[in-house]
Amino acid sequence: MNAPSPKVLLIEDEKPIRRFVRIAIEEEGCQVSEAETMAQGLIDAGLRKPDLLILDLGLPDGNGIDLIHDLRGWSDVPVLILSARSQENDKIDALDAGADDYLTKPFSVGELRARVRALLRRRSRSGAAAAPVVEFGEVAVDLSRRVVLRAGEEVHLTPIEYRLLATLLGHPGKVLTQRNLLREIWGPSYIESSHYLRVYVGHLRQKLEVDPTQPKYFLTETGVGYRFQP
Amino acid sequence: MTYDDHLIQTTAARFKPWQRYLLTTLACTATTLLATPLLGHLDLANIVMLFLLTVLLIAVSLGRGAAVLAAILSVLLFDIFFVPPRFSLAVNNIQYLVTFAVMLATALIVGQLAAGLKQKALEARIREQATQALYEVARKLAGTIALGQVIEIARDFIHIQLDADAAILLKDNPDTASGLTKLAFRIEPHLAQVAQDSGQLIRDSEIAGSGYASHYLPLRASMHTRGVLAIAFPADSPDLPPENLALLEALASLIAIAIERLHYVDVAHATQLDMVSERLRSSILSALSHDLRTPLTALVGLADSLFLIKPTLPVTALETAQAMHEQSARLAGLVGNLLDMARLNAGNVTLRREWQPLEEVIGASIKLLGGALAAHPVHVALPTDLPLLEFDAVLIERVFCNLLENAAKYAPAGTEIEIAAIQLGDQVEISVCDHGPGFPAGNLKVLFEMFARGQTESGKPGTGLGLAICRAIVEAHGGTISAENRGEGGACVRFTLPQGVPPVMEEESA
Repeated sequence: MNAPSPKVLLIEDEKPIRRFVRIAIEEEGCQVSEAETMAQGLIDAGLRKPDLLILDLGLPDGNGIDLIHDLRGWSDVPVLILSARSQENDKIDALDAGADDYLTKPFSVGELRARVRALLRRRSRSGAAAAPVVEFGEVAVDLSRRVVLRAGEEVHLTPIEYRLLATLLGHPGKVLTQRNLLREIWGPSYIESSHYLRVYVGHLRQKLEVDPTQPKYFLTETGVGYRFQP
Repeated sequence: MTYDDHLIQTTAARFKPWQRYLLTTLACTATTLLATPLLGHLDLANIVMLFLLTVLLIAVSLGRGAAVLAAILSVLLFDIFFVPPRFSLAVNNIQYLVTFAVMLATALIVGQLAAGLKQKALEARIREQATQALYEVARKLAGTIALGQVIEIARDFIHIQLDADAAILLKDNPDTASGLTKLAFRIEPHLAQVAQDSGQLIRDSEIAGSGYASHYLPLRASMHTRGVLAIAFPADSPDLPPENLALLEALASLIAIAIERLHYVDVAHATQLDMVSERLRSSILSALSHDLRTPLTALVGLADSLFLIKPTLPVTALETAQAMHEQSARLAGLVGNLLDMARLNAGNVTLRREWQPLEEVIGASIKLLGGALAAHPVHVALPTDLPLLEFDAVLIERVFCNLLENAAKYAPAGTEIEIAAIQLGDQVEISVCDHGPGFPAGNLKVLFEMFARGQTESGKPGTGLGLAICRAIVEAHGGTISAENRGEGGACVRFTLPQGVPPVMEEESA
């Protein structure tokens, strides 16, 4: 693997946090550049064209969500959010604005490295055509033929269940907010009817998870949304 | 000038009754004298007309009684002085009896009608004046900004219109009612209470005029009876004229509305204050949360990053780093608990309630705890027909995490933790049970107090906030929480969530 090492831009105002995040990411073989403020971060994102952006939501000079909005105008670089637990709404807004994943403070270096790896992997893969068959556990989904097999046997899904499955599979590892999923699958008038989403995710788990009460692939991000973890 | 004076003055009957009858007699006599010279020139039928005109005028100016007297007098005088033979009641021609009968009937009817109309006009004027006065009061009351003003306006009105004294007793603060100490009369608290409770006018004519308030009107507004209007009449006219009752009731409504309006002004003001202090509290909390979490995040991460240093540190250094990581993670957990408790205790927790299946939040909690549950398999047994419940997923996840964490902390490794739920009436009861040593004997309710610990000198880490947080969250959802020891050993925490009516879901046509 001789590809140039991926570039990561870290936007965080606290020096000690920058320090350990840098150590952890460099361990993943990345080049890290740092920005302390939102304004500087936005400039660096334009100049350096990073492969991953790590953004603290609590920056002193402005709202990180605005930065994501700006950024999404001209870049689809993956964005990993760092936020405190009490900022549920900020998290959702950031994800809706186009962020890909989040980490809740405090987090361990292990979690951070896993998320960074996943996001970079997705980035490198996104150029290639999406595989027509997605496999996880004993389930295989053939997206071109709309066939779902579990341990070799076909599983019947309703149209909405299939649409939900395809949407989740289309963004492996990414947190999809409730609002996002409801709009995509049921339409804008269902954005407040989150129980539909909850019930249908339950159906998918019943049909595709080994233990639906302790799912391994269709994970709940409580208060935020769902994530398909391949 | 009181209302009653008004009545008498504006009525034509500004005279005493005997004066009115005297005047009537004089008027009839005058008509007789006036008509006598005309006897040769006018038909008797036209003289009858003169008498009828007199009756009409008397009816209009002196009222009903006078009109009746005038009608009878006119017939008598006409008979005596004009119908032959004159100066005698006897009648020559029998057909004059018809004249008398028609004359009497006409005079009586005309008199009654005229007097009635007069009376009606008079009443209309009085009503108009009352309406005008009420309108004035309403206008003044609408401009009040303090309770004292309302009371003063009401007392002035009653004083002017009824010549009586009044006081307002408020339900919320019975003692401050319009400065009861300054009142010139006494209140019968029992009657006031009855008026307040029944919402009806209570009057006691026995105590009227004796220095006690005799009339108690409830001040009924749209939401509550706000208090009682007590009225004391002076000793010389101790009772309320019935026609004034409607006026008083209208006044009572106006006062009630004014008091209610002031009440809601207060409520709005208090709400605004609450909002301001709430905003302040939450901004302090989030600043504190940020300031505490930032160094803790750095500490956890920096301790972790020691493992990545090249060349690898000696084993003892790495063990120290591991211990640092664990301790700082624990500290972060404690700070998180404290901040949560502070936020929940600050009151007015806004729940983000959504309808959702219980199993989802249980699965998320188990996933979140991850390694902490490695030694304790969790068995989830939920009824398949459990309906959706409406709760705040983030907070209920905290409840499950805290309960599972406790179970994992106290129960021996390898034992199972059981989560179950049953429907009990309009509640769903959820239990988290373990196979550990159970709670220490004693008052199990204390466990949910802040800073309570199962074992006072326990070697297990913890602040004793976990269960208190659970209780705060469950109670915010309208549920209850309790702890017990199972017969076969092990601790059990049960909490309830209200069931409610889940939203309907359109069936998918597939």
